[in-house]
Amino acid sequence: MALIFIRTTIIFVVLLLIMRLMGKSQIGEMQPFEFVISLVIAELACIPMADSSIPILYGIIAIVTIFILHEIVWLFELWFKPVKNVVSGKPSVVINKNGIDEFQLKKNNLDVSDLIESMRVAGYFNLDDVYYGIYEANGSFSALEKEEKASCSLPLMLIDRGKADTQNLARCGFDRDELKKFLQKQNCKEKDVVVMTVNGEGRVYFQKRGEHYKILQCEVNGQW
Amino acid sequence: MVKAIVYTLTAIALCVGLFIFTQWYVSTQFGEFSDALETLYTKVETKTASAEDGYAVRTLWNDKKSKLHVFVPHNDISYIDYWLNEACGLLYNGEYELALGKVEVLKEIAKALPDAYSVKFENIF
Repeated sequence: MALIFIRTTIIFVVLLLIMRLMGKSQIGEMQPFEFVISLVIAELACIPMADSSIPILYGIIAIVTIFILHEIVWLFELWFKPVKNVVSGKPSVVINKNGIDEFQLKKNNLDVSDLIESMRVAGYFNLDDVYYGIYEANGSFSALEKEEKASCSLPLMLIDRGKADTQNLARCGFDRDELKKFLQKQNCKEKDVVVMTVNGEGRVYFQKRGEHYKILQCEVNGQW
Repeated sequence: MVKAIVYTLTAIALCVGLFIFTQWYVSTQFGEFSDALETLYTKVETKTASAEDGYAVRTLWNDKKSKLHVFVPHNDISYIDYWLNEACGLLYNGEYELALGKVEVLKEIAKALPDAYSVKFENIF
């Protein structure tokens, strides 16, 4: 029985560690340790139920172990703030006054398209619709929105972390040469761009690596 | 919060109590079974064992296994059933040499099983 307790504890700690390393992209609106518990507990309950060769007490001990670990983690989080940061993580400010913080995105195993998707789910369709964008410790997205939204046209991503999206380029009537000329005007290469989006009105959100974002204008066909 | 601490400490205390009891109970039960097997082994070795001796060990085991099922995986218990029934059948036919091998295996299983559930490095990983 003590073996089950120790083994369950080891699996819990390893899963929690892996979930923390995977970043916020893998957890959905739960604290990492809550996610690990919900992941493990269903399986622990099922195995002794389905496999009659395992004494039911093994399942009960494993579930009680998870309960004990949950309470211990919760109490530690309550008493010691650094433990909370280690176990549950901290909110990450991925959009700040300079634009997208690429370092924070990478740290959480996210990319710009994940961020744009989270923003759309939260009701923001332009990257500059918000002052700040934050991934909470539980993986949900919060934002401090601007008083006025940028536009009513859907932006398309033309460059995502140094790679041009050829389909979107064609959709907005942009070819490679035009993009190259546009980038030359901005004095940068494709690989130096964190993000470049354009909406149907030709409004460009442009951010070069390590620099403040810019709002620019360009010619587009506006057919979307 | 006090409630959470009380629940946690109670759960830990219950678990530790159960671990100690399980360790003691499984070791005791298998210890008694091992003693019975040792006696049977000696009798089989000297060819003085009868089928009744085998049945007596089987009755003792049947009594113990009904409770051991709570703590030991049922597959492990069925191994002992298998080897014990074979040994009883061979004793019934008076085949002492073959029965000796079966009882030897049973002795080893009875010694090894409690160890397989104790807290040891090799059992954890």
